[in-house]
Amino acid sequence: MKQATKLNIWRMLIIAAAFLGLEAAVRFRWIDPFFMASPIQALEVLWLQIWNGHALLLTLLTLYEIGFALLLSTVVGLGAGFFLWRYQLLGRSYEMLLAALFSSPVILAYPIFLVAFGRTAAAVIALTSLFGAIPIIMNTRTAFQHVNPILIQVGASMNLSRAQMIRHILLPAVAPTIFSGFRLGLTYILKSVLGLEYVVQVGGVGMWLSDAAFRFEVTEVYAGLFGTIMLSVLFLYIINRAEAVVRR
Amino acid sequence: MNVLARTIVTATPWVQTTAGIQLLSVLGLLFAWEFIGRTGLLFPELFPSFNSILQSLFTHVTTPMLIPHLKASLHAVGGGLFLGAFCGIPLGIVFGSRRTLMQLMEPLILYLAVVPKIIIFPIFILLLGIGTGSKLAVAAIAAFFPIVLLTIAGMREIRPVFLDVARTLGANKLQIAAKVYLPAITGYVFTGLRIGMGAAVTGALLAETKIAKAGLGFMIVEYYSQFRMPDMYSLLLFIFFLAAVANWALKRLFSLLLPLPRTAADAALYF
Repeated sequence: MKQATKLNIWRMLIIAAAFLGLEAAVRFRWIDPFFMASPIQALEVLWLQIWNGHALLLTLLTLYEIGFALLLSTVVGLGAGFFLWRYQLLGRSYEMLLAALFSSPVILAYPIFLVAFGRTAAAVIALTSLFGAIPIIMNTRTAFQHVNPILIQVGASMNLSRAQMIRHILLPAVAPTIFSGFRLGLTYILKSVLGLEYVVQVGGVGMWLSDAAFRFEVTEVYAGLFGTIMLSVLFLYIINRAEAVVRR
Repeated sequence: MNVLARTIVTATPWVQTTAGIQLLSVLGLLFAWEFIGRTGLLFPELFPSFNSILQSLFTHVTTPMLIPHLKASLHAVGGGLFLGAFCGIPLGIVFGSRRTLMQLMEPLILYLAVVPKIIIFPIFILLLGIGTGSKLAVAAIAAFFPIVLLTIAGMREIRPVFLDVARTLGANKLQIAAKVYLPAITGYVFTGLRIGMGAAVTGALLAETKIAKAGLGFMIVEYYSQFRMPDMYSLLLFIFFLAAVANWALKRLFSLLLPLPRTAADAALYF
């Protein structure tokens, strides 16, 4: 058996053991069921919610917000990143400002977006696309900056047209770094969308969690939590697979 | 207009420096904000004049009104960071000390790190109530992930030859820990602490905006619900300033203690 398969089996066993441990703790009342729902019951509720379409609808709404925010971030990020590479002085000047913005707790400014867009999905999309755009801008600029000049000289010596130069030299050279920015941006968007949905009580899966907590439906809270964790893990898995394909 | 722009640029060469552009950009933004705020040209509710924001900031800083809220937030962030480090560093060392254990646990932790920590808040409310304890717990979970992951990264960077040399020289486990592991991972742990602090600030204050009795996040939402926009902006500015100063101070302190390894600084981008 391959080492990777063995490790995967062990990981599954660890997760299963954690589930069983929690289940036993709740069943035998080592933990008060007021605080902790039985994982099996929570999964049952999650499955019911998926089956009757409620969870699916909420997931679709969350995915719509993530997708729209990602689209906005990508368009703005690629454009701004290319611009900042093209105009080096501006690029150097704004690099520090962008990094400062990226490391500050901008998510706390969400009430401003609520005032501007109302308590709607648009507010979540606007704020999260801001988060997503920054790593894409920074990585796009870095990607173009680090294109090996020899590759461009080779292209020029082969009399490649501008379009051919972009298609055959620039794009393959910048794709991996830009994809890293894209991956970071998507991760931030995912975290912020789910977090904001919960805090602001707008939109999809996060709102469901908040709503269940408000009604003190402990089993539903855990069902929502499992759903959110599974969605996050699935997203990261897809991003990692896609990155591996791009880097190949 | 072009001639005027060219004349300004030629007459003032500092405009063509990064510092010049940064200064001009910030001043331009402030000027535009003040203009929009005063004329009410665009969303008058959203853009109060910058002058009124500064006045509010002055009031906040010079009167004791913020102190109980600042205390509550600092308690949540500081306690959370301590708890995150208390669990994250030893676990990182344990997971990083065995190759198989590292390979087994690192992906699990990485996948869980992506989950927004604020969603665990309802469980902490059930367990700890709506006081500072539940915010501290969110901050601790938020800080834990970067700290444990960077500690594991530090452990991975230790070259096996160092361990072999230490063993050859007859060093016991404690001596190996003190003379090999600790110096090798310190840079990574410091970076983890700095990033963990940022995560703890965001986690605790975001939780305060959801439900709380005190704290800077609670104040933001209070001002928002009362539509006191200049006060809300001034408080946000205050928080961003505090976060930046704390980040800078930790970075400076750690760089004085030891130079950060490049890989650890790069890893910061992932959080």
